[in-house]
Amino acid sequence: MLRAAGLVKSYRAPTGKPIRVLAGVDLAVKGGELVVVTGPSGSGKSTLLNVLGLLEDGDGGEIWFEDTRVSALSRAAKSRARGRYVGFLFQSFLLLPSLTALENVLLAARYVRRSGGATRRRAIELMQAVGVGDRMDHFPAQLSGGEQQRVAFCRAVLNDPPLLLADEPTGNLDDANGAVILDALRGRARAGGAVVVVSHRPEAAVGASALYHLRGGALAPA
Amino acid sequence: MRRLQVLRGYLFTVLGIVIGVAGLVALGAMSERIVRFIEGGDRFVLGQISVAGRGMGMGTGFTAGGILPAATIRAISEVPGVQGVQAQIMLPLDPSTSQFMTVTQELVLGTDLSVPTPNRHYRTLPVRSGRFLQQGDRKVAVVGASFAASRGLSVGSHITLEDEDYEVVGVLDRMLTAPDRFVMVSIDDARAQWVAKDRLLRTVLASGAMALTASDLNTGAAVGWRDGDDPDAVALRIKERVPGVNVQLPSELSRLMRSSTAFFSALLVGIGSLAFVIGGLSLANTMAAAVFERIRDFGVKRALGATDLQLGGEVLAESLAVTMLGGLGGIALARSLGWFIDRYLAQSQQLFYFSPRLLGGALAFSILLGTAAAIYATARVVSLSPAEAIRRGA
Repeated sequence: MLRAAGLVKSYRAPTGKPIRVLAGVDLAVKGGELVVVTGPSGSGKSTLLNVLGLLEDGDGGEIWFEDTRVSALSRAAKSRARGRYVGFLFQSFLLLPSLTALENVLLAARYVRRSGGATRRRAIELMQAVGVGDRMDHFPAQLSGGEQQRVAFCRAVLNDPPLLLADEPTGNLDDANGAVILDALRGRARAGGAVVVVSHRPEAAVGASALYHLRGGALAPA
Repeated sequence: MRRLQVLRGYLFTVLGIVIGVAGLVALGAMSERIVRFIEGGDRFVLGQISVAGRGMGMGTGFTAGGILPAATIRAISEVPGVQGVQAQIMLPLDPSTSQFMTVTQELVLGTDLSVPTPNRHYRTLPVRSGRFLQQGDRKVAVVGASFAASRGLSVGSHITLEDEDYEVVGVLDRMLTAPDRFVMVSIDDARAQWVAKDRLLRTVLASGAMALTASDLNTGAAVGWRDGDDPDAVALRIKERVPGVNVQLPSELSRLMRSSTAFFSALLVGIGSLAFVIGGLSLANTMAAAVFERIRDFGVKRALGATDLQLGGEVLAESLAVTMLGGLGGIALARSLGWFIDRYLAQSQQLFYFSPRLLGGALAFSILLGTAAAIYATARVVSLSPAEAIRRGA
């Protein structure tokens, strides 16, 4: 499903000196696989996920979603590819504060032009399945962290994307809520989806198809 | 539902725009009010030739000067090109010097109702309630809108002028110019008031030193001209052929009036420019800030697959709704403020005039400027990568 080859990414430090975060990363993830990437804080895990998910451009290397070389696409085509192929789960949930929980979930359908009764029904089913069915009309500020992340999970999978990228999805959650989210991610892989999780928490690796460690800009099996 | 969502996210933006547009509209309405006053006066003086008796006297306004006797009025009517001459008396309601030469001066206007009004631009004055004066009326008055409002007068009310009781038989529509503060009576009643007001005139009449009859007591006359004649040429002809009169050439009076109101005109330009700059900056800044505040939301939406075009369209639709709502709210707020100030603080003077061109212009201005600011801010935001937008908005 996902293939990345030779990904390179550098940032410029305030002093002007370039800092190489990714130094030729290769990665392949098939449908049904749960890949976990670990690494110390600041090692570039989030950057790797952003580049893989086309949230920012790498300085070099190539990315394929299925047979499409998405790293070479135009800005608009990359946006469409994100909507079609990728679901994101962020550490800070990133729900829109002015929308209710249900509206946040349905937001994922708006940009891929999937709306209507069927989409709404699926959103409600997903929310009920993860235990936030009774919070649909609540605003994010009225939800706990665990509930917000469950809503964010529903948003990430609403369009049934073949690839799910999760950036420290349990980073702001207590153990119980973290376990719920990790279970949901594992379930997603079991259902045939490709899932990549970056996390510094060891329990994230439980049930993973592959575990990598990111250090010095390169991925190594852990 | 969608509109409510927009409101939720932009509530304070809408409020900010409401304040900005309200300031713009309120200042604009004050400018419009002054413009109306000046234009109304200009239109009046261009519609008639104003003649007064030479010298100084009680007469004021367009009839400032000395007495204009009946024989002089007859002489004016015989000048070639003259179509009609209406004897008039215009007196200050309050003759204290503090009331002279102010734009809020209240006047008593007495006109000879046996002659049709010669003013080409004001053949009749618009009556809001009741009726206008008729030939033979005595001790009745028609009052201007501001005069009526300031004293709570309506048809059937009574007012006292020089210790005489007058019944109000008509109230004029608000004209936003001088007649708003007029009390109109028959010329015979005005003559009686003049004599009562003017001690010197009383003494002269009592002494019999001058051979004056009641019909000689006029402070001026409105003169009309025949179709096809040049009013300035007719005025010059009156000046040449009739001695003892002050004749105002309509064009000269208009120029004089415009030059004397040049200060107000400059003030208007200043107020208008200030309103434009302050209102515009406030509006554009509020709208752009609202977009920049949502930078994280834009990053999230792009992560969910939104293209630049989709986001641009979304922002355009939202900014149109928000600026329209803010614009309408601002107009409503300004109108409420204007009403309150006119009603309770300005003693029923109308300080604001919310003309259709002002309201339409303010709404278009707020929508165009607000939308332009939103589009500019959106262009800046979407130039960032989704990851960068999320990072900056965190």
